[in-house]
Amino acid sequence: MQTSKFLAEASLGAWLDELAAKAELIVPKRDGNAVVFGPYDPDVPVELSQEATAPPKSIVFPPCEELMHFTQGKDPEDPTKPLLQLEETMPSGRKVVFGARPCGARGFTIFDPVFGSGEIRDPYYEARRADTAFITLACAESGAACFCHWVGSGPADATGSDVLLIPVEGGYVAEAITEKGAELVASSLLTEADANADAVEAFRKKVTEALEPAPALDAAPESLLAIFDDMDFWGAISSKCISCGACTYLCPTCYCFNFTDESRGMEGKRLRTWDNCMSFQFTQEASGHNPRPTKGHRLKNRVGHKFSYYPGLHEGAFACCGCGRCIKSCPAGVDIREIVLAAMAHAKSAGKEQAHD
Amino acid sequence: MQPLEDIKTKIREALPELECVIGWEKSWTPLTATPLFMRAPEDVDRLIWGPFNVNNPATYLTGFKGKKIGILVKGCDSRSVVQLLQENLVKREDLTIFGLPCKGVLDVSKVVAKIGDPGMVKSAELNGDVLQVATNKGATDIPFSEVMADKCVACQYHNAIISDHFAGDPLPPSMKPDPAEEQLAALAALAPAELFEHWAGVMDKCIRCYACRNACPMCVCRDHCIAQSRDPHWISQEHTIRDKIMFQMIHALHLAGRCTECGECQRACPVDIPILALRKKLNRVVKETFDYQAGIDSKATPPLFTFQVEEANINERGW
Amino acid sequence: MTKMPNPYLPDMATIIETVQETHNIKTFRVRIDNPERMAAFSFQPGQVGQLSAFGTGEATFVINSPPTRMDYLQFSVMRAGEVTSRLHTLSAGDKVGVRAPLGNHFPYESMKGKNVVFVGGGIGMAPLRTLMLYMLDNRKDYGKITLLYGAKSPDDMAFSAELPEWLSRDDLDATLTIDREVPGWEHNVGLIPNVLREIGPDPDNCFAVTCGPPIMIKFTLQALKDLGFADDQIITTLEKRMKCGVGLCGRCNIGSKYVCVDGPVFSYAELKDLPNEL
Repeated sequence: MQTSKFLAEASLGAWLDELAAKAELIVPKRDGNAVVFGPYDPDVPVELSQEATAPPKSIVFPPCEELMHFTQGKDPEDPTKPLLQLEETMPSGRKVVFGARPCGARGFTIFDPVFGSGEIRDPYYEARRADTAFITLACAESGAACFCHWVGSGPADATGSDVLLIPVEGGYVAEAITEKGAELVASSLLTEADANADAVEAFRKKVTEALEPAPALDAAPESLLAIFDDMDFWGAISSKCISCGACTYLCPTCYCFNFTDESRGMEGKRLRTWDNCMSFQFTQEASGHNPRPTKGHRLKNRVGHKFSYYPGLHEGAFACCGCGRCIKSCPAGVDIREIVLAAMAHAKSAGKEQAHD
Repeated sequence: MQPLEDIKTKIREALPELECVIGWEKSWTPLTATPLFMRAPEDVDRLIWGPFNVNNPATYLTGFKGKKIGILVKGCDSRSVVQLLQENLVKREDLTIFGLPCKGVLDVSKVVAKIGDPGMVKSAELNGDVLQVATNKGATDIPFSEVMADKCVACQYHNAIISDHFAGDPLPPSMKPDPAEEQLAALAALAPAELFEHWAGVMDKCIRCYACRNACPMCVCRDHCIAQSRDPHWISQEHTIRDKIMFQMIHALHLAGRCTECGECQRACPVDIPILALRKKLNRVVKETFDYQAGIDSKATPPLFTFQVEEANINERGW
Repeated sequence: MTKMPNPYLPDMATIIETVQETHNIKTFRVRIDNPERMAAFSFQPGQVGQLSAFGTGEATFVINSPPTRMDYLQFSVMRAGEVTSRLHTLSAGDKVGVRAPLGNHFPYESMKGKNVVFVGGGIGMAPLRTLMLYMLDNRKDYGKITLLYGAKSPDDMAFSAELPEWLSRDDLDATLTIDREVPGWEHNVGLIPNVLREIGPDPDNCFAVTCGPPIMIKFTLQALKDLGFADDQIITTLEKRMKCGVGLCGRCNIGSKYVCVDGPVFSYAELKDLPNEL
């Protein structure tokens, strides 16, 4: 069922122009040291040499979006009665995101079971998700903060992508993963890829073998619950955290959000914005009580959610794609790999102590 | 490396009386160290000192209110400690300050500008005056002077301004001109419309993560920041340039005359926005108006904490 | 293609009546403007709703009227923060948004044929009210119903207009208590857990439903355990900061359970299984 086509390096620009004619094309571009996603401009080079600083999460799940707007007025039939008109603001418009890495697209497969299935679904997310296609680029090498293979992914993982580009001699093999992807590679600029089958195989083999062996994380969900009450552990391991939101906002799988009403005069809107569980206010109750008053409590929740609670609800899937952005962007160098491994080791040794008692 | 060993000995001696001692250790990347909280003697084995110790450990001090805490500082870090003492945000008797002479730290963003993705760095070592960096593409030798943090180029305080234990020979102040002057002059040369375009342009990629705010040792509002407050409702939650710049303006004003230009705000920014310039500019205004620099004299009162009936440099009556 | 329902879009509703219960508790009786939606509205005792004060925000309140009395939906609001303060400025005729019903409900089916003891403190009486009135409206389905309602002082007691009726009904054994003696007060004086021990309800074939400030819940739980109630016989309802109310925004979780979806009603047995993060 999977279609593979070949895209020559020289044809890349033309293909991007073609894609841009049919939908809003979003590509990674250099902005100083950062690589950020933005609208395609044929005069601005597309930056594919490194993973984008922020993932393409904001295309499908924007940092701020208007959910609805309301207008206060008077009932025209009875001016003594107030009239409040409420209207939802639905997103629309087809988009293609070109040049993300597999981890960026995979992130949405963590959102989907929460926002896009079951009885309660998020129509804003679903609209954008249906309207957006991902053409991702497989990673030729892994960085020091990359750990996608620890969580069941890999440098050439197609999960969540519509088209996966494998770099080969002279260009890319474009593997169409979904129907949307098959439509995208149906361009005349892409040719037959049979001759490149070996090169693709070789690429996959090379990138997989280059990876350091991944530690087993099967014990993580239980371990994190086992040491939940150990605030000495969580207090110590969260010492260097500065409780900002860099890890959360740059994470392809973090989806916590907030509602805020902003109004001016007689008009107003209800916004949905990204929120982050590392901030003190996240769980602050109006009574003054806060179930997570310290950094230790909050870091425990973040790591717990990703490696214990979410897997418990979704067939063992970790809410983490191993992209390492949280590690790279943390001003204090907090490393979630260290925390998960330390939690497992701590639970094990605490368990042994209990067994001796 | 004898001074480092001497300090390690002093830290081990002081540990039993202290909640912990803050220093640095190796991290996931060779390019930057990460804060180390030494609680047990074996933790001290991991302490390192060198050009990768970029974090300002003073950021953590106010989180340890009421506890006895030790801190190893570079000269610039000690200025933050001094400023915290001036403002009574920490008590001198709660602190045990360790110091070593600092030859300067790396500005990772300068290294990244030369060698690309920091995730691909396999090794980094300072050999004499040369930073030797190896990535997946090969090895590069970079003169340290090209990738040293701007604050280090003209640093007047290579040694902790106050300390309880100092090891090693103190270093003299640098004689080079401060790169900040050229940067600020370039911005000042822009017409107002161009200047605003510059700031609107750089703030566009801001994701309102507040790493800049949380990394700052002088930030006191902490959990009651206007960025997240509805009362007063200074900024909305919308991701507009207006709200993002407003936050930076308020933060910079809160820091005027208090900021020691440690640069953590800019270093912490995950999308590399050059916000330090705002704070440097306001500091220079304070220097001109009140002849005061933050974090030098722990007995001094910051000028915006007090007033003179007749200000020396403010012409109130003589129009 | 059918339009997907929008779980974040509130129903526009009008306040038909307000009652100033105490200095900081105000009751709102609302009707959803759309007559079909109001007629079709159904919920189970214990379920909550998000009330919108448009321009300020939303907050979570239990629907404290019972499903057996659908002239209006009743919410009682304690003034504590921004949204509740704004709600308190509203009066009959003003518009609010309602997103309801949300969350789970009291296990009123399993309580059939059993005795029920309600122990409420202050505003904690609100969720108990919906279940208690539902049971009284279906009286023959339930055994002995006991109410212990306490507050700091008479001025802090909500639902004072209904208290005389509750006290005089012979199918309800109601006790009121305040913390300290006040001239003119004819009922009990004493902290809720102590009065509960004096009443000494029999745990046999009985459920205890309790809600109130955390400190009251803590000691009431202790008293109930001492009286012999098993963990699964004790029911309570939790409070958390909530935003979406439908288990998506990731905020109200205790471990892998979301208080807005798996709660807010929990038995003490269920709470003990959850990580310690109330």
